[in-house]
Amino acid sequence: MKRVRGSTIWAFAVIILCVIIAAPAHSYEKRDGKKILIFGGRQPAPNIDPSQYYDWSARMLQQSLYDALLKYVGNPPKVVPWLAKSWKKSKDGMVWTFELVRNAKFHNGDPVTAQAVKWSFERTLALKKGPAWMLMEFLDKEGIRAVDDYTIEFRLKRPYAAFEMALPWWYIMNPKVVMANEKDKDFGQGWLKDHDAGSGPFRMKRWEHGVLYEVEAVEDYWRGWENPKHIGGFIYRIIRESSSLKMALEKGELDALEGLNSDDFDLVAKNPKVYVTNDPGWTTFGLKMNCQKGYTKDINIRKAVCYAFDYPSMIKIYNGNAILEDSPFPKGMKGYLPVSNVYRQDMKKAKEYLAKAGYPNGGFELEYVYVQALEEERQIGLVLLDNLSKLNIKLKIVPLVWPNMVARASKVETSPDLMAVFTTPIMDDPDVVASQYHKVSWGKYYGSHFYQNEKVWDLIDKARFTVDWPERQKLYEQIQVQIMEDAPELFGMLFNRRWAFRSHVKGFVFSPVRFTGEIDMYPLYIDD
Amino acid sequence: MIEVDRPPREGPDSCREAAPPSFFQRKKKGMKRFIIKRFLLMGVTLLGLTIVVFIVSRVAPGDPARLAAGPDATEEMVQVISKEFGLDQPLVIQYGKYIRGLVQGNFGRSIRTRHEVWDDIKTFLPATIELVLISICLATFLGILFGVLSAVYRDTWIDHILRFFTVTGVAVPMFWLGIMLQLLLAAKFHFLPIGGRLDTIVTPPEAITRFFLIDSLVTGNGKVFFNALAHILLPAVVLSFPALASIARINRAEMLEVLHRDFILNEKAQGISKGLIIRKYALKNALIPTLTMIGLRYGWMLGGTIVVEMVFDWPGIGNYAVAAAVYSDFQPVMAVTVVLGLNFMIANLLVDLGYGYLDPRVRYE
Repeated sequence: MKRVRGSTIWAFAVIILCVIIAAPAHSYEKRDGKKILIFGGRQPAPNIDPSQYYDWSARMLQQSLYDALLKYVGNPPKVVPWLAKSWKKSKDGMVWTFELVRNAKFHNGDPVTAQAVKWSFERTLALKKGPAWMLMEFLDKEGIRAVDDYTIEFRLKRPYAAFEMALPWWYIMNPKVVMANEKDKDFGQGWLKDHDAGSGPFRMKRWEHGVLYEVEAVEDYWRGWENPKHIGGFIYRIIRESSSLKMALEKGELDALEGLNSDDFDLVAKNPKVYVTNDPGWTTFGLKMNCQKGYTKDINIRKAVCYAFDYPSMIKIYNGNAILEDSPFPKGMKGYLPVSNVYRQDMKKAKEYLAKAGYPNGGFELEYVYVQALEEERQIGLVLLDNLSKLNIKLKIVPLVWPNMVARASKVETSPDLMAVFTTPIMDDPDVVASQYHKVSWGKYYGSHFYQNEKVWDLIDKARFTVDWPERQKLYEQIQVQIMEDAPELFGMLFNRRWAFRSHVKGFVFSPVRFTGEIDMYPLYIDD
Repeated sequence: MIEVDRPPREGPDSCREAAPPSFFQRKKKGMKRFIIKRFLLMGVTLLGLTIVVFIVSRVAPGDPARLAAGPDATEEMVQVISKEFGLDQPLVIQYGKYIRGLVQGNFGRSIRTRHEVWDDIKTFLPATIELVLISICLATFLGILFGVLSAVYRDTWIDHILRFFTVTGVAVPMFWLGIMLQLLLAAKFHFLPIGGRLDTIVTPPEAITRFFLIDSLVTGNGKVFFNALAHILLPAVVLSFPALASIARINRAEMLEVLHRDFILNEKAQGISKGLIIRKYALKNALIPTLTMIGLRYGWMLGGTIVVEMVFDWPGIGNYAVAAAVYSDFQPVMAVTVVLGLNFMIANLLVDLGYGYLDPRVRYE
């Protein structure tokens, strides 16, 4: 047994040694004298090519590495000039001309010119991926013209009032760098998915897929830095378990994080070295009802469900960090109007509508589909189950993984009676929300209602192509009232967006038009 | 613990045999044929595996092209992706292309990330193998040690404590154990890191084997080595725990049986020391069922790492497969299944070869 004892002692010695080494006292990390911010997020970003893909994690990195003509800043979001210093549109809304700043440089030193802008737009349109859908209908290759090195002109196929609102998500890439890495005529897609060809405030440093992404600040960023104490870079660390995220923040391994649930955010906020932001977001939560199949085909049943639901319970589920929707459009968005025909719990009315539908005593079952493991959605389902039981309507609560939900939502026949859905509008323009109730959204996950009202569709089309804002606004008022009236969805709530920061991180600016976990890293700085 | 140059003795009967041929002489001829046969069989099994995985992934609901194109993509955009990845072709052709690729060592491309799946496997598999190897060594070493101690000190306090430990080990869910140890050792007392393979700020060693422990040693980077060691400790312990428990239990049962055989009594009567009897005669005989268990557990660990990788953010193949599966991204899921299947088969082959080593009666004809 001698050998055994020897190796045991050896093993213990090693353990103790590494315990001693691996217990550093954390504040923020420093590298070459620069303060590095460490951000914890649950979602990887395997593809950051601005023409190919976007979601919150990819876009957070894209926004750091790239610039666009314009940029969304603040709450309510304002579109501010960025690579474009000024712009004008023709009266009919067809021709848009942008004057570029002269000092913008890509990370390799090349100037950002109108030719690069033209090429970047052409690339995204040609690939037909990622953000292409925003402008495909209005813009083609022939419509983009570099007037001179620093002037770019877009000639739209039809007027589009929200054109400028889409531009902050069309990042400008360096054509020379991308094309130098082209393979098999792929427009550099294989390369750019995890490389950088931008002019943004940060440049790529270390990319470890599935582990972390590190960028460093471009010290001579063409636009300069607002604060001399700006972060010297940041590391996006992927941590998939929310309990690990929480621990890492409390321990000081992280400076910032996203993606905890309400309880955990409230818990970490009690730590004196941590603060938690809490801002009303634009992500709407609703239960889409299938308007073309089953019991919910009948508008009276849909209204009965809307009147039966106990709305404030949703706010409780989010520990008070949410507000109720009082319009199909999120509060604060351009064109939003609190409508008067909003539904709140009224069991008498619910029974009336049930009787109108021919089921005065209920006696049927509805299906409620939600994303597996999303605890809040499950709890909301339980509230609805309780509410509907008073009408003698049963509720079958079905958790599904996301691909299966998308698959079921894609066809009328399979789309469930009620589907719990979050949607985040991508730009500050009512068209993106309104079009969720247009036929064009059928087949997409947020179109699982298969709502049909030609009058509303016409209004949505008309509003999209109207250039004059007061005129558009009136159209959107009608649209909001009519959608609410038709109840294709039980309009739920808007939950607050939250991030937790260690107290030395400062400068966070919230903007509701950014995605759920996404932070604009440019204004952040570290100050003890 | 085990010597190669001498055949194991079975007891009084085998003692009478005069100088039997050495292990390798004895097994060589049969073994070669056996290994070749097994490899051919593996090929057939793998082919079957790919068919099953392919069919299961395609009949599962979900439209990978739509998911990859993003929530707002138009029908046209979905078609672009569908075409690019050949999803618009009939299933048979898709399968044919897949197999042709596999034979050439090409696992295809992930529809969601555009990454070459083989590159991803090369990145993520070593992390998993490193973790599993450390865990299986830990489980084997401690499992056998605990099993022997438990059997030798049967019904004493040592046995009771170890049995309590092993029953718990089989019963406790890994994610719970993981989170508890994390809370205690990482969050509360700051002894160990919470997760990952290295500290965020530490750059990984140059990729030679992609096992950080080995690469850091080879490149002479002690700091990275200890950092990696500190990171692997908790996940390895958690992953090894159920295996350790079942190895200890089975080893204890076998040891008890062997220790009551007549040949042990005979050896005791001959005055051979207790330690020698246990190590050389009892343990070796008890190891055969234990070895089966180790092989099974190795395969099980490869699958079981998913939970541990999740809790400890271990950038391994489990996390990779889950991330892909969530988006109906077939290629990575199929590749991971094939690679893990192959690993499992190789482990089983090694176990079968190990039988022959431990038990001279086993023949490979």
